[in-house]
Amino acid sequence: MAEVESSTAASGGDRLRKASGGVLCAFTLLLIGVLAFSIRLFSVVKYESVIHEFDPYFNYRVTQFLSKSGIYEFWNWFDDRTWYPLGRVIGGTVYPGLTLTAGTIWWLLNSINIPLSVETVCVFTAPIFSANASWATYLLTKEAKGHGAGLMAATILAMVPSYISRSVAGSYDNEAVAIFALIFTFYLYVKALNTGSLFYATLNALSYFYMVCSWGGYTFIINLIPMHVLLCIITGRYSSRLYIAYAPLVVLGTLLAALVPVVGFNAVLTSEHFASFLVFIILHVVALVYFIKGLLTPRLFKVAMTFVLTVGLALCFAAVAILVALVASSPTKGWSGRSLSLLDPTYASKYIPIIASVSEHQPPTWPSYFMDINVLAFLVPSGIISCFLPLSDASSFLVLYLVTSVYFSGVMVRLMLVLAPAACILSGIALSEAFNVLTRSMKFQRPRSDDGLPAAEDITPGTSSTAATIAKSGNITKEKTENVSKGRPSKKNQKEKEWVGSSPVRPDMEEKLCVLPAEASAMGILFLIILCGLYVVHCVWAAAEAYSAPSIVLTSRSHEGLHVFDDFRESYAWLRHNTEVDDKVASWWDYGYQTTAMANRTVIVDNNTWNNTHIATVGTAMSSPEKAAWEIFNSLDVKYVLVVFGGLIGYPSDDINKFLWMVRIGGGEFPHIKEEDYLRDGNYRVDAQGTPTMLSCLMYKLCYYRFVETDGKGFDRARRYEIGRKHFKLTHFEEVFTTHHWMVRIYKLKPQKNRIRGKLKLKSSSKASSMRKGAGKKNPWQ
Amino acid sequence: MCIKERKCRPALWAIVPFNGPIRSALRVHPTATGLLFYLSTLAPSSHSLPRPPVSSPDPAITMAISPHHLLLLLLAAAAASAGANNLVGELESLRSRSPSGVIHLTDTSVTRFLSSSTRPYSVLVFFDATSLHSKSDLHLPQLRREFALLSAAFQANNPASSDLFFADIEFSESQHSFSQFGVNSLPHVRLIRPHHSRLADSEHMDQSHFSRLADSMVDFVEARTGLQVGPITRPPLVSRNQIILLVLMFLASIPFVIKRILQGDTLLHDRRVWMAGALFVYFFSVSGGMYGIIRHTPMFITDRADPNKLVFFYQGSGMQLGAEGFAVGSLYTLVGLMIAVVTHLLVKVESLQTQRFAMVAVMIVGWWAVRKVIFLDNWKTGYSIHTFWPSSWR
Repeated sequence: MAEVESSTAASGGDRLRKASGGVLCAFTLLLIGVLAFSIRLFSVVKYESVIHEFDPYFNYRVTQFLSKSGIYEFWNWFDDRTWYPLGRVIGGTVYPGLTLTAGTIWWLLNSINIPLSVETVCVFTAPIFSANASWATYLLTKEAKGHGAGLMAATILAMVPSYISRSVAGSYDNEAVAIFALIFTFYLYVKALNTGSLFYATLNALSYFYMVCSWGGYTFIINLIPMHVLLCIITGRYSSRLYIAYAPLVVLGTLLAALVPVVGFNAVLTSEHFASFLVFIILHVVALVYFIKGLLTPRLFKVAMTFVLTVGLALCFAAVAILVALVASSPTKGWSGRSLSLLDPTYASKYIPIIASVSEHQPPTWPSYFMDINVLAFLVPSGIISCFLPLSDASSFLVLYLVTSVYFSGVMVRLMLVLAPAACILSGIALSEAFNVLTRSMKFQRPRSDDGLPAAEDITPGTSSTAATIAKSGNITKEKTENVSKGRPSKKNQKEKEWVGSSPVRPDMEEKLCVLPAEASAMGILFLIILCGLYVVHCVWAAAEAYSAPSIVLTSRSHEGLHVFDDFRESYAWLRHNTEVDDKVASWWDYGYQTTAMANRTVIVDNNTWNNTHIATVGTAMSSPEKAAWEIFNSLDVKYVLVVFGGLIGYPSDDINKFLWMVRIGGGEFPHIKEEDYLRDGNYRVDAQGTPTMLSCLMYKLCYYRFVETDGKGFDRARRYEIGRKHFKLTHFEEVFTTHHWMVRIYKLKPQKNRIRGKLKLKSSSKASSMRKGAGKKNPWQ
Repeated sequence: MCIKERKCRPALWAIVPFNGPIRSALRVHPTATGLLFYLSTLAPSSHSLPRPPVSSPDPAITMAISPHHLLLLLLAAAAASAGANNLVGELESLRSRSPSGVIHLTDTSVTRFLSSSTRPYSVLVFFDATSLHSKSDLHLPQLRREFALLSAAFQANNPASSDLFFADIEFSESQHSFSQFGVNSLPHVRLIRPHHSRLADSEHMDQSHFSRLADSMVDFVEARTGLQVGPITRPPLVSRNQIILLVLMFLASIPFVIKRILQGDTLLHDRRVWMAGALFVYFFSVSGGMYGIIRHTPMFITDRADPNKLVFFYQGSGMQLGAEGFAVGSLYTLVGLMIAVVTHLLVKVESLQTQRFAMVAVMIVGWWAVRKVIFLDNWKTGYSIHTFWPSSWR
């Protein structure tokens, strides 16, 4: 202990070194922030400054509303443009964190007279927050393993592909700010745990509140931290710091979480949160035991112990019984479908097609890991081992974070995003330790003879001038130890000393000079640098090529050069300019958000899949024959139907390829739709082998209407075969618009025939049908 | 580990309707493997199967029909219904003998119960082969259990129903019936409706109906027969008494466990246990083990072109086989462990020579492993990564 103190009481030169180190560190962090921001700009440079994909359009629309109408209007916003005729209470069903953040940034900029549009702010929110996230990573890693590992981890996180995929410029989604909030909450927890300071614990609760505002993934935090607390208790690492770090989080955090409308009383009523309460009780029982242990003599303690244990256990059981009763009273046992599918991986694929149908919810294969965390997959095991040597509260937390997130990412590819920070932190630790050892070996050499070694063990730092180098290296290792058992404030009280004393690092072990042969170390450094180089090349490639496509604008590279498909915006612009403001547009739910945001038209279903029946109704209409579909759509006041068709240009994720899911989801609610009617021998196909039900359903007809006119054969480039039914007419729908590459086709429901009584009926109906034929032939867009 | 096998592309397993890009919202339907095992390879070659006879009339009915032409029509009708009632009665008594209500059929009983042209009942037949129970990729025992659950659920919901019976046939004792039904691959389930006059006409439950086990079989039965099967009730893993016993044991052990924890000498206090556990979870997850569990993928498959060849590596990023995942997962873990060994263990070794040798070995193996993974990844996904140099450097 005394040695550590003497080394901290450093000389003036040491202070200068520290100061320059601090400046260097700050400068590096600044560069890391610039790196994190700028690597995400590929999408703006290569395409344009647009919002990407589906969900971001909704967030953008909400932000627009917020900036126009103010916070109170936003809070009470009832949106009648979606889920017609039900509508949606936006203020109560949305996680407001992202919107409020971007809205605040926009308001701030405007109030200092920087007139940026809401869209620009939305596009660049994600890159800004990735810079914040990498700084938070630095702080978190520094708490566990010191500055070097922190900087390494921050650099790695700044360009990890998995995180880039959700935070390129334009990807304006909840995850963009939530990952920062996640890491920062973990940092504050670890900080509170290391210092035992109530200040950090309170900040932690506030940060947790921000996380709850931002993303449904906050349940990960409120389960992971209790797990860690429990782990600490079980392995005998209970301390008052643990109590201070955890108890305020549960009390304040739960109260704050209940303030967010979308969470509300779920914060105390659903099973996702029960673990935290249970651990809260256990923590109190354990704290009581430790308190009594301090008060009493060992013999008295034994007596008291039995007493406390019985009372404590009784209390625990009462609480557990109440929890069990609460859980059992709810139909899904208090778990939401998504969390159940994490605990029982096969759950979703069995019971919830709407979760199973989303590609993000599929389990990943091994190439997904190589794509998303690349060489970090090699480094993480070494990081795990480094965290165990020595094991501190902070490093055990990091290991726990990694293990849970790697398991979850194995269940759902989407949760790779939660794994990415953990993988970065542990790889940062691994790399930093490896570089530390290798560079040390190059700098200091062990004395030639073998008997030099015991001498090195005997020498204490600074006693002999001949052993200066050894002493220096001893200092380095000691600094490391100090960093490891981190975060002690300068005023060391008795308890903390006790804690440090009980930490598993034995100082005399550190005295030994641990080096490797210099030339082999140089080789090793070279190899590590090559490995890091691979990572950088991969990340830049992933950011530029794989993850920056906005998916609203598609490009393809052929020998003639770049070709741009801007059909989506073309069709939404058509809807905006050529239809009435109150017209209802039906499409599969994927395109709901975009239609409301870009075309400003009312949709039946959208990407917020809160009402399964409604989605099933649209699915049923799409899989029904024309007349039945017309009736369903007419009953919903639909005027236009929009389908996405990739057969002409070979775009694979079009509605025909999603169609089986419409059938499945529709069939889940309306049993007359049966999946096997659409499958020939278990195979889904729309060529000549397709079943009659398939070839006469609305989706097929709307997609392939007049398709044969393009090449005379009706060859579908997405499926790579000729379609089954080529020449047919539409009876209840008429084509009103087809985009340049036929990617989006819009149809209008034909108006209902007039009812005419008596004798005229026969004549007029034949007349009407002949007229209809005429109308069917004539296409206004030819 | 047969990495060399990767060149052969499996086609049998790959019931992949379409390959979308990574983030498209479609997925491959996880039908139960779709593995067919051809019985012809299993049947003893010397034993040629006799041609199935055209459905012979039931002896009971023939005896009851009197030769008197006058009464023929009337009597035939009466006898048929009496015979049918008889059969139903027999089937019901057979059903009551089996706990789950699945009737075991043999060649003779197939002729007796199924060949007659007038049946007022449907029969759902499960084709079983004891000799194939050891083939884990066919899941026969599991499907047989699910079939029993289905039968039990039907019986619980329709206690005295004689519209639908559940039966199973074993291959080695009823080869004749198998050929009559035209069954040459397993798993196989057939529904014989009253209107099917020939056994081979009966409806075959296709692979997609095994995917969700009993739940999807229910869909099939309900769709084809119009009968309500009712909810499937699976037996709990442990019975009520066992649960009570376990809870009691748990309660009794709590004080001891707490005492041990307070003393700090349980297995949980051993850091190496935690470390090994963490490494294992990591290894299992990055090798895509959960994918195998969720999608029930086999460890390897046989090549369609050459049945003697095994395929360990599947080309195409949407799918993976068990063995390939674990091979790559162990490469991931291996490199990490080697780095850890160098940084934490090797530095404490005293002999310079050992250190040098070990480091060179680590570097060579690490280089090989990283290269291998990059190569496999390029081969599997088809992504080729390129650098972005400033254009003036080119």
